Amino acid sequence: MRVDVEEKVLSENDKLALGLRERYRKHNVFCVNLISAPGSGKTALLERTLEALPKTAKVALLTGDLQTENDARRLAKAGFPVKQITTGGTCHLDASMIIKALDDWDLDAIDILFVENVGNLVCPTSYDLGEHAKIVLLSVTEGEDKPLKYPSIFAAAELCIINKLDLLPYVPFDLAQAIANVRQVHPGMEVVETSCTKVQGLDAWLAWIERRRK
Amino acid sequence: MPDMHELSIASTILERARAASQQNGGARVTKIGLRIGEISGVEADALTFGIEALSKDTPLQGVTLDVEFCKRKQRCTACATEFEHEGFVASCPTCHGDQSECIAGKELDVKFFELEDPPCA
Repeated sequence: MRVDVEEKVLSENDKLALGLRERYRKHNVFCVNLISAPGSGKTALLERTLEALPKTAKVALLTGDLQTENDARRLAKAGFPVKQITTGGTCHLDASMIIKALDDWDLDAIDILFVENVGNLVCPTSYDLGEHAKIVLLSVTEGEDKPLKYPSIFAAAELCIINKLDLLPYVPFDLAQAIANVRQVHPGMEVVETSCTKVQGLDAWLAWIERRRK
Repeated sequence: MPDMHELSIASTILERARAASQQNGGARVTKIGLRIGEISGVEADALTFGIEALSKDTPLQGVTLDVEFCKRKQRCTACATEFEHEGFVASCPTCHGDQSECIAGKELDVKFFELEDPPCA
């Protein structure tokens, strides 16, 4: 006996994400989901971003890791609300974790919500968090062929940030080839180049946020 | 349970299979039909491993997967030509435009369950 189902495997998560998207729309929250391999500089980028924002900016952050509160501690220094999501062993954030984390936050007090996903170039791609845009980070120490090796996330993300540009003189990373690889997987994808230790390229990233929010 | 994401996806699929069995008088599910896209981020081998590991010593032990693999497909924004993203060729084969949207390849669907006839009352 055959029973036809024709349903998305992650339809439960998708339903929750749809609910989040509705809430963000209603409360005018712009949400981005930052995805990269561990150590590409997601937290550093957010630290520099928070430092560059006026203290009155209505910004909040959720940061995911398997263990430790380290990232939340780093990000809290800027004085904006931040919450750590520790997933235990799970390699990605899902919509239910976001809903739980937002539980006691007033969304009217938030204009921009940064979600820092668990460091992983594969699994977070499959889970819709209701965000307006996924952003993928690639650092110059990782090799310019990463977009070809992990095409799913580069196809799904709206913006690619190439980070650690200050290390370019010390590593065999072909920046032009990396950008070509990004666009081979995702035609026309916008790329921003940053360094978070030398504070470089941040203006382009902040401008992207402003433009995209409108 | 600590996991790769195929394991949590396998667990979601097995939950659906259990529900299908319950809705059909406890009939054993023998086959699960799935559709997996090229850029869904899910590896069929890892998923198969997850299903085997999680169904061991349960009524679902021995269930097989029937996977339909979907290639990534793009539609050209300029001329609407639909083309496969073979070997990462991103430009449109008709007008050579480099803007296109993804219309297939992200699938991760349960298509069907195959069940044994329900046990007679």
